[in-house]
Amino acid sequence: MLSDLYIRLRSLFSRSKVDKELDEELRFHQEQQADKYMRTGMSREEAMRQVRLDFGGLQQVKEDCREARGVSFVDSLTQDLRYGLRMLVKSPVFTAVIILTLALGIGANTAIFTLVNAVMLRSIPVRGPQQLVVAQWSARKGPRRVGMSTFGDCAHNREDTLGCTLSYPLFKQIQNQRNVLADAMAFVGPYPMDLSGNGAAAIAQGQLVSGSYFQTLGVLPTLGRTLLPDDEKAGAPSVAVLDYGYWQRAFGGSPAVIGRTIHLNNASFTIVGITEPGFIRLTPGKSVDLWVSLNQASVLGLKHLHASDPTDWWLVVISRLQPGVSRAQAQAVLDSIYRNEMLHGGNQEWGTADNPHLSLLPAQEALTGIRSMYGEPLLLLMAAVGLTLLIACANVAGLMLARAASREREIAVRLAMGAARRRVIRQLLTESLLVSFIGTGLGALLAPLGVSGLASFFSKNSYAPLQLDLHIDARILIFTVGAGLLTGIGFGLAPAFRSARTGVTVQLKGNTTTAAASHGRGRLLSFGSSLVILQVSFSMIVLTGAVLLLRSLDKLRSIDPGFDTRNLILFSINPELAGYKDEQIANLYKNLQTKITALPGVTNVSYSSEALLDGGSSSRTMHIEGSVDKNEVQVKTLSVGPEYFQTMKIPLLQGRLLNQTDADDTRRALVNRMFVQKYVAGRNPLGLHFSGGEPKDPQWEIVGVVGDTKYDTLRKEDAPTAYMPLASDGATFVVRTRFVPSSLMPAVRNVVNTVDVNLPVIRMRTQADSIDRLLFNERLVARLLGLFAMVGLVLACIGLYGLLSYEVERRTREIGIRTALGAQRSTIWSLVVRHGILLVTTGALVGGGAALGATRLLTSLLYDVRPTDPLTFALTAFLLLVVGILACSLPARRATRVDPMTALRCE
Amino acid sequence: MTPERIELPQGTLDLLILRTLSLGPQHGWAISERVQQISDDVLRIQQGSLYPALHRLERRGWIKAKWGASENNRRAKYYELTKAGQKQLATEQDTWEKLTAAVAQVLRAV
Repeated sequence: MLSDLYIRLRSLFSRSKVDKELDEELRFHQEQQADKYMRTGMSREEAMRQVRLDFGGLQQVKEDCREARGVSFVDSLTQDLRYGLRMLVKSPVFTAVIILTLALGIGANTAIFTLVNAVMLRSIPVRGPQQLVVAQWSARKGPRRVGMSTFGDCAHNREDTLGCTLSYPLFKQIQNQRNVLADAMAFVGPYPMDLSGNGAAAIAQGQLVSGSYFQTLGVLPTLGRTLLPDDEKAGAPSVAVLDYGYWQRAFGGSPAVIGRTIHLNNASFTIVGITEPGFIRLTPGKSVDLWVSLNQASVLGLKHLHASDPTDWWLVVISRLQPGVSRAQAQAVLDSIYRNEMLHGGNQEWGTADNPHLSLLPAQEALTGIRSMYGEPLLLLMAAVGLTLLIACANVAGLMLARAASREREIAVRLAMGAARRRVIRQLLTESLLVSFIGTGLGALLAPLGVSGLASFFSKNSYAPLQLDLHIDARILIFTVGAGLLTGIGFGLAPAFRSARTGVTVQLKGNTTTAAASHGRGRLLSFGSSLVILQVSFSMIVLTGAVLLLRSLDKLRSIDPGFDTRNLILFSINPELAGYKDEQIANLYKNLQTKITALPGVTNVSYSSEALLDGGSSSRTMHIEGSVDKNEVQVKTLSVGPEYFQTMKIPLLQGRLLNQTDADDTRRALVNRMFVQKYVAGRNPLGLHFSGGEPKDPQWEIVGVVGDTKYDTLRKEDAPTAYMPLASDGATFVVRTRFVPSSLMPAVRNVVNTVDVNLPVIRMRTQADSIDRLLFNERLVARLLGLFAMVGLVLACIGLYGLLSYEVERRTREIGIRTALGAQRSTIWSLVVRHGILLVTTGALVGGGAALGATRLLTSLLYDVRPTDPLTFALTAFLLLVVGILACSLPARRATRVDPMTALRCE
Repeated sequence: MTPERIELPQGTLDLLILRTLSLGPQHGWAISERVQQISDDVLRIQQGSLYPALHRLERRGWIKAKWGASENNRRAKYYELTKAGQKQLATEQDTWEKLTAAVAQVLRAV
């Protein structure tokens, strides 16, 4: 009831005021009564005396009133808290260990959850995000005759039978369905754009969007205006809208930027507005610096974007549903338009048998972004860190249990004095909750450290600037407080109930040791033992996962990529964006090559269209001269500059390398060994020709064969690859250095800047960085799993140590008698250690069994190691056993030192 | 000579308070006075039980309190019946009447 709650809360929070009011109320009554008596002729003193007699004990009345208002609960709570605090302060080491354990557990959980929240759970920061839907097409087979580009906004499948990029004409048709859609917008990108006119040239992430983009999302400007439908019309002036964060970073938040002209890819744009600060992303993880209208594609030199072409699928289309229209209703309308277009329109991509469809998915789910990349490892980590918290919980429960045992006498006294068992349990639970809240608070303070470490690890390993919204929201708070509460109850409940069952008479007979022994041998120890087994088995699960990952990382790293990956600097430039044309580009490259080679410490310099082991690759369907089957084959292609193979240290096996005379138009090419082995086996490859699938494609002559290399990833087999001379495209330079490559980076950057200050250097990195980036998920999970496994192992050891020490202490008398009767030290030692080994073995067996099922989740991250790898399991169990024996040996030594006389005398 | 006083049976205190307040807002002293007066001094509410009862009724939401000025112009805490309290009073009164009628019937018959 509301009044009930109000009054209880008032009693809780404004106690002094409530008490004062009560005083006043009672005093009023007494005075009224005194007045009445005085009217009957009593003197004032007499009247007051009579009143006091009438009233009875004033304090008792007040106490009853407080009780009636429900204050007693609060009173006893403060009493419990005060008592609990006193108990905690009394054993500071014990308290510190528990609080630290919990703080680590809760802090790590909060940190991982913050990332999970940012990547997986946060909703799109716009108005009414639940009304936004993404159009996704699907068909029985993938499209063949269209140009399709994706920027990782939505999930795709391997067979390309679904996707969410559509053509511009189709977007326009969708946008017109105003009976079901309030509005619709389309976007593509972001593209790295060369931005000048604001200090030194820099790369900005620019997204191309329809004029309806901001209206559909409901995003308002902070300054100026956002893009409007008119901006998308032919002949509209070139304007750009800046992201709030980018405006702060790059323009210092100056309001004077509105109306200013900047250059994007060498074309002039006027800044017309800044978005509102809350709009930090649309697709999870994607960071956008500025927006321009779709029709600016040609101005920006993005040649491959053709607005009018129905076979060019490049736009992600997001619609806002008309209020009152369901997703299914809107989907029915759009689907029929789509089918009609695909089966009968200008884009007859599929037949009826292919069953093409368009569905509308909630934008929150469909826009996956980095979720598709990091989602799985993050959930894995969440599970692992959750297990670690459970280990911590079991550990603390074990410690609490041991301490509760030493407090049995105290509790027995309280029970004998008439305390209700319920009240004793509440007291003990209050203590554990108090500890868990202090631990949670400390953990919440630790969490940001972990979060910022993880976030920088993420962004250091990402290809494009990464947007992670890590600020603390209600969900994180609820998670942390919930975790703390559950932990407190989790580790407090069992010991509390156990203590409250204490037998009063046994305890108070005065002989603690026998009492404890009789009580302890039966249940208490077996409960403590099961807690240790629980810790060991959870540790075994996490440890097995960590060892599996470390072994496969080791295998991945020992793969020979076919070229020397040490001492290589990579950086990319895109001279076309800065306004260079064909011949100028070739000259620029030659110039850069000469100047960088001249730097001290540099041995070779070259460039190529893509970098090896850098995440990207290109491939073409080819036809090879004289091949028996007429089928076209897939060949990976890489366009390279002069001296590429010397720089990369890829060996020449046959024929000759490309040299200065081999320009793009001489049509000479190299292939790798795998090409020869797979496609021209048994023939002399030199002098053979190959060409693209179309008859009009040029013929390439093979002049040499080079060694195989890994191309886009380490995991794939070496693929047949062809190397052609680089024409006039963007390129990635490779610089071979004599010593640590990072030390030469500033000098290399300096060379590029002196050659042309308007040419931005894109992503300067070492080859080792690139490979690390490819292995990001493996490294992330391996590193954290390793850390959690270590923490779990240490906790399990503390648990084991604690349990055995406690046992040795309880059995002092027994051990004393055994020693007095002539038991050897080794017998006593093995008595204790045997128990420990039994616990660890049981835990390892239980954990191993569970790990057999759990490690399957790691499959996608493993390389050349099966999730059930017997060696790993044996190794992990062995490690646990060794560490376990170490943890046992201390209490065991203590047991061997028990002096029979002292042990017996202390009875 | 004061008339013989009767101890209040269990549970009747709440009913008396609610009934008294149904006549209008009153402070604690006035409530006890009124009950005493109307019952010709037969019923007398113990001060020690009056105030806990008032606070209990307030917590249940049957009466509400506010501070006001008394007849002799002093600050006093006035209690007043709420909607829920009126309903409660009707039920309790009904129960009480049935109970006393039934008890009386039994006493007469035996």
